[in-house]
Amino acid sequence: MASSDAALILPPGGVERGIGRSGRDFVSMVRWHLASLRMWLVTIVIVQALSGVGFVLGISLFFHHIPQSAALFVTTGVPVINLLIVGLVLGPQLVANQRTAGSYEYLQTLPVSRSVTAAAWYTVCLLCGLPAVVVSLVVGQLRYDLPLHISLMIVPAVLLTSFAGTMLGYALAHAITRPMVTLLITQMLIFIVFGFAPILFPLQRMPAWLADVNWWFPFRHMAVVMRAALTSGPNPGVSTAYAVIGVWTVVAAALAGWMLGRRP
Amino acid sequence: MSKTASDGWTFRVDNLVKHFGTVAANDGITLRVEPGEVYGLLGPNGAGKSTLVKQTIGLLKPASGRITLGSFDLVADPDAARQLCSYLPQAQMPIDSFRLREAIELSGRIRGAEMGQVRRRTAELIEALQLGEWSKTLGSRLSGGVKRLVGFCMATISPGHLVILDEPTNDVDPLRRRLLWDEIRALGAQGCSVLLVTHNVLEAEKAVDRLALIANGRLVAEGTPSSLKAADRTQMRLQVMLVPGVETPALPAWSGPPVRVGNNLVTTIAEADAPSGISWAAGLIDAGVAEEYALGAASLEDAYIRLTSDIPTDGLHGEQ
Ligand SMILES: Nc1ncnc2c1ncn2[C@@H]1O[C@H](COP(=O)(O)OP(=O)(O)O)[C@@H](O)[C@H]1O
Ligand SMILES: [Mg+2]
Repeated sequence: MASSDAALILPPGGVERGIGRSGRDFVSMVRWHLASLRMWLVTIVIVQALSGVGFVLGISLFFHHIPQSAALFVTTGVPVINLLIVGLVLGPQLVANQRTAGSYEYLQTLPVSRSVTAAAWYTVCLLCGLPAVVVSLVVGQLRYDLPLHISLMIVPAVLLTSFAGTMLGYALAHAITRPMVTLLITQMLIFIVFGFAPILFPLQRMPAWLADVNWWFPFRHMAVVMRAALTSGPNPGVSTAYAVIGVWTVVAAALAGWMLGRRP
Repeated sequence: MSKTASDGWTFRVDNLVKHFGTVAANDGITLRVEPGEVYGLLGPNGAGKSTLVKQTIGLLKPASGRITLGSFDLVADPDAARQLCSYLPQAQMPIDSFRLREAIELSGRIRGAEMGQVRRRTAELIEALQLGEWSKTLGSRLSGGVKRLVGFCMATISPGHLVILDEPTNDVDPLRRRLLWDEIRALGAQGCSVLLVTHNVLEAEKAVDRLALIANGRLVAEGTPSSLKAADRTQMRLQVMLVPGVETPALPAWSGPPVRVGNNLVTTIAEADAPSGISWAAGLIDAGVAEEYALGAASLEDAYIRLTSDIPTDGLHGEQ
């Protein structure tokens, strides 16, 4: 025989349930994703950062003189855009790419629980989006000399915003089997997030009915909690916003888990 | 390997049915693989082999039927399927941005093995399959055959009780193909059941313990390679090289179903008909229709062709 028995790794004695191996599996899966994005990771991070900076600086091209309040509004909305683009647009496109490349099926057959698989994906998306958040804020601060006041609430604001966005995107990516359809739908999501959700512009600018519709979606509330964490002063509606995002977080996680476990 | 560690891990498929629209990809397949057995799934493209293994590993859900490994119901419990089975997909593994050794080691870790063991076993597999010169090469620079071998290592670094290999030898060079077969046999010797999908009859004949012939979603024959040939034991294979471009000549009524690939026409005849077969073939040469012929013992390939052939034979036969 070609192999000596000494080094053979024997099959498992039974099936492991519960969270016993989760920590290790999580690290292995994050390493897998980072390694498979190895050639793209730097580019992805740079492109995200540039697009954030583009929004922050872009408004100064539209107006001769920008009121500081407007600059503050946009700069504090851009982190939400950054995190949503990664989780809701780039994430599904990466999964679509896995389908084309053949890794999708292989990943689906690995002995890793669904929650660990999703947690690893979330971590990778967060890593791709965080540098852009920091860079956008720094550039905004330098360019407009903003009265930013960053509180500890930035942690839940960033984590929850990214989580809800990433899990919605993940559910979508698993639900859609055709890469081309994923591309088109994520295109549409960009459009919705920029044009029809009050993230970079105030809610008052929208027709009342659209503002009402937005109440049921998480995007508007993400902008509220992000602003509250980045500025001082009164922040009406923060608790409500957290509550709605909280519900969406649970819904998104459930959807992702469901789609991840689906067998055609 | 002690007897007890692999005891009880029989793999069973019972009356498995899977449709895609109107196509019955699996149409009531039943089979059983014992621990330590290398079991071949043999059949033409589109027969339903990959569909069967994808249902086993939890990528597809059967319309009806059961798949069990030991006491575990793999259809109802895909978590168990993923932990207890390892799988090499028919499609190429996605390792373009991984280094060869890294891809294998990371797979071993994800499959739950300890780092030290993973390192040792990876080194062994790399040596056994003679992949050493590429151990630090990026996947995107590897040839298709080498990638295939890396995929094999990834799937079997920490094997399950059932190891599923969907066309593992595709693109692999003849030398390493032999080494690969040794490793597959070693998995069996270790107590793993190996479910091996292939359409290469000659290879399967040498390397599997038992095999199933699948055609149109059905299991048309099952047994050891020699038992499948037994039906053909009193048969001989008559092969005629036709002159390029000629129409397929009418076959004598006493010949088996003919198969023409290119200019190669193959059929089976009974031993007793050998002299008539020779004079028929010689007649074709005299008539300028054939260039040469060969008459030999039937092989597994003949059983395969006989059992899976869909070609309507009536049109090719002469007077019935
Ligand atoms: N995802 C799918 N959707 C629709 N038809 C499929 C799908 N997968 C396989 N088929 C069909 O099922 C049949 C069996 O396919 P497959 O199991 O891949 O065959 P094999 O592996 O034996 O070559 C074929 O007719 C194939 O076209
Ligand atoms: Mg196949």
